[in-house]
Amino acid sequence: MDTKWNSTKALAGFLAFFLGVTLVISSLGAVGNRLAWERDPSPRWETDWQNTAAFRDQVSQYLREFLTIGAGGEVDFYSGEYWEDYGGDVAVVQEEAARARWGFYPITEAVVVDRGTAEHEAEPDSSDSDPAKPEKEQDPDERYRNDKNVLYFIETAEGKTYTNTAGGRAFFLARAVSDYNFYLSFQDGRVSIVKDGKGLDVYGNGLYNEESQWFVPGYDNFPVSEDLEGVTVYMAARRIPQRYYGVDYKNGGTYYNSAFYSIAQSVEESQSFYRTQGLLLFIAMWCLVLWFALRKSTEPVNKKIASWTVRVWTEIRFLLVLCPLAAFLWTFTGYQSIYDIFFGWGNSFSEWGMAVLRLITMNVPALVVLFWFCWLIHNDHKYNPKEVRRSLLKPFLRGLRARDLKRPVEKRLSRRAALMILAVLLLGAETIYFLIIFTVFVGYPSWLLWTICFLPMLLLVWAAAAWARGNLSLAKDLGRLADQVEAVRAGDLERPLKLPEDADLRQTAESLNDIQAGMKAALEEQTRSERMKVELVSNVSHDLKTPLTSILSYAELLRQEEDLPPAAADYAKIIDQKAHRLKTMVEDVFEISRAAADQLPVHLERLDLGKLLRQTLADMDGPIQAGGLTFKVELPERAVMITADGRRLYRVFQNLLDNALRYALEGSRVYLSLKTMEGSAEASVRNTSHSELPEGVDFTARFVRGDASRTDGGSGLGLSIAKSFTEACGGSFRVETVADLFTAIVTFPVEEER
Amino acid sequence: MNECILVVDDDPEIVNAIAITLEREGYRVRRACDGLQAVEACLDPAVKLILIDVMMPKLDGLSALLRIREKRNLPVIVLSAKSEDTDKILGLSMGADDYVTKPYNPQELIARVRSQLRRYTSLGDVNAERRQGLLVNGRLTYDPAGRVLRADGDEVKLTPTETKIVDLLFRHPGQIFPAEEIYRRVWNEDAYSCENTVMVHIRRIREKIELNPKEPDYIKVVWGIGYKMEQH
Repeated sequence: MDTKWNSTKALAGFLAFFLGVTLVISSLGAVGNRLAWERDPSPRWETDWQNTAAFRDQVSQYLREFLTIGAGGEVDFYSGEYWEDYGGDVAVVQEEAARARWGFYPITEAVVVDRGTAEHEAEPDSSDSDPAKPEKEQDPDERYRNDKNVLYFIETAEGKTYTNTAGGRAFFLARAVSDYNFYLSFQDGRVSIVKDGKGLDVYGNGLYNEESQWFVPGYDNFPVSEDLEGVTVYMAARRIPQRYYGVDYKNGGTYYNSAFYSIAQSVEESQSFYRTQGLLLFIAMWCLVLWFALRKSTEPVNKKIASWTVRVWTEIRFLLVLCPLAAFLWTFTGYQSIYDIFFGWGNSFSEWGMAVLRLITMNVPALVVLFWFCWLIHNDHKYNPKEVRRSLLKPFLRGLRARDLKRPVEKRLSRRAALMILAVLLLGAETIYFLIIFTVFVGYPSWLLWTICFLPMLLLVWAAAAWARGNLSLAKDLGRLADQVEAVRAGDLERPLKLPEDADLRQTAESLNDIQAGMKAALEEQTRSERMKVELVSNVSHDLKTPLTSILSYAELLRQEEDLPPAAADYAKIIDQKAHRLKTMVEDVFEISRAAADQLPVHLERLDLGKLLRQTLADMDGPIQAGGLTFKVELPERAVMITADGRRLYRVFQNLLDNALRYALEGSRVYLSLKTMEGSAEASVRNTSHSELPEGVDFTARFVRGDASRTDGGSGLGLSIAKSFTEACGGSFRVETVADLFTAIVTFPVEEER
Repeated sequence: MNECILVVDDDPEIVNAIAITLEREGYRVRRACDGLQAVEACLDPAVKLILIDVMMPKLDGLSALLRIREKRNLPVIVLSAKSEDTDKILGLSMGADDYVTKPYNPQELIARVRSQLRRYTSLGDVNAERRQGLLVNGRLTYDPAGRVLRADGDEVKLTPTETKIVDLLFRHPGQIFPAEEIYRRVWNEDAYSCENTVMVHIRRIREKIELNPKEPDYIKVVWGIGYKMEQH
């Protein structure tokens, strides 16, 4: 139940994230794209199409044409003849600036249609001698009549009127006809505009400049032409323009006359676009809010996705990211934008920004795809460590590296140097090849070019060769240094490493030689002190033995005295016993110190460990019989051949059995066994201790015994000697205690049967 | 008997103790404190055996031994605190007839002294014995024909099994025989785990022929391999 809820949450969170990010990118991309490409910014936030610059421009244009009609001129606003009268050069320049600011799209469309119509209608005029055309006398306002988006009433100075509405002058003066809300009147050289029943300020401060909204005559610096004396023009614009169609049945073709319709449409379209994108962004925002709330629980989904994507090879990922990138760069727009961004020196900052925006937003789907590929890779890298990612190239490179590592270090370095040389040589060869090609095709050698290319090339090859040579000698020295380090590690302290004076590694080699010399000195010092220690122990042992000899001799003589009082005889006996024990201890200490100093002479030979154990048992038969313990012996029938010193090893087992006899619980069993396993022979002596075994005591340490009282006969050196001797023979010795069970284990590597 | 024995040691108490031990056995004792005195004292023709310490002032025991050997042919037993194999080998190769380590066992010392005296005074020429077909090994002489073993000239009483073992080992001095081999040859049977049986017999033989059965000179165990007769 809970897990189901969790997985639902995770899935919902991830879907919200996916939807939110996709929507944000696509709608921001769309908006950005529109902003970057839009020439006329005015319809962007304007809900009323009549408030746009395009509308005002169109109105000015209509007025211009109506005034032309009113003045009795030709309706051909591209001739420019009239305009000189109208406002002079200043006005034309102003108009060009205004056109550039408005952009092309809405006006071009309208103009083309209008012009087509005008040319068509002008045709009969230009061939007025043609008798086949009876309707030569055409009204100048003919082509405006059909478009009821603009209603007009033109009255010339002579009192002639042109109109496309039946309402006449009264219609315009009423200014309240249904569907029409924009009224313009040109009377007595002044323009007045009423929109939705309210008058608009047309002239402002009376001077025309770039900020003036209405390009109409009547400004102080834009006076009304004398031709317009007595001309009156009324026009009205529809609130919601319609499209009007016309068909030329004489020449064929369809046209429509709908400049206002286009403007209204574009405003409408722009609004619906921004509204849609706004809605999408709103949805995206809520999606992202939802994702943010659930972001902790989406982890499993991300992990799951990472577990899928981990199988994709790195090379494929690279290509996948490259494809959407290519969609940007490998198109003309992309190139154009990049050119604008990097080489559009004359552009202002905002134009540069627009170029960037154009490049980014030129392909919104590719942008979305690119984002998600990047996210997938990021997600993959987050959850999958580098080691588990797959790559086609990786095993190949790894194989190369592994092969490389097998070579000694100097080989590796010199190979790298060789690769470098090869690359430089190839580069040089290529350059010369192109130089030759150039020479052949151009037909003559360009000595300047040759010099320019060839000399640096020569220099590069020379530098690379010098570098490689230096590297090769460094590699050689490095190899020798590595060998020397290995030799020192292996124990060669005699030969120092001699490198040439100018070698890069000279200092390092010297340091290594110092270390080597130091090690040698330390080792010699250590050997000397070990030898001195053994000599000291040997002397001490000798010096101890001399008085001990006297003690033992006189104790013996004393024991032989017959007329001693019984107490004195007892004392003599005790002295004799203790002196004997002292003798054993002195001998043991001597041997163990020699073993500790690695000065114990061992005579190694191949022997049968099983036989040695049997011999030891037989040799110690007397004490074993007297000990009151049961010996359980388990020895293999076949020979267990090892390499050891038989006498030392006998001493080891003698000590172990002695130990068992001395410390085992009365009447208990002692287990002696020999087992072979995986190339090693393991002999063990197990017994139950008569006293409690203390925990955490190393029984093989010198002078350690199971009980701390030290009153029994042992020297405390038995196990220590056993361990020392075993190790001197190349075996290993260990003691294990479990509760009262004492186990001593001697292990030797088994010789192969020959 | 009353042979005179020269005891040389730089420690007078040890000399005294040895002297007492020897005198109780009926020997006469001359004493010396260093090597030079020893060389001087050995010129006394009454001296039949020398017990000499190694580490002494003025002239050490081994150097004194070399000088004594130039003047007299008599048994010399080295008595030293140095107990290592190398020391023993050195002493014996310098011309000592026996090597006893300190602290010594008085019984063993007396036995060795007696053995050396017997061999030097009572017994005949070793080479002559060899010519007679006898096998001579240090104190021991074995007559393979009669299967008689003599230690210091005294016949050693052996059981038939012991005789067989001695016969085998004496005929192959220095050769190592595993217990199984000995058992097979002596008992004429194959056997496993016969170590104990063989060892019991060897121990008995040792008790009869060795001066110190715990540290045998002749029948030795080669640990992990077998048994052998050490050639002296």
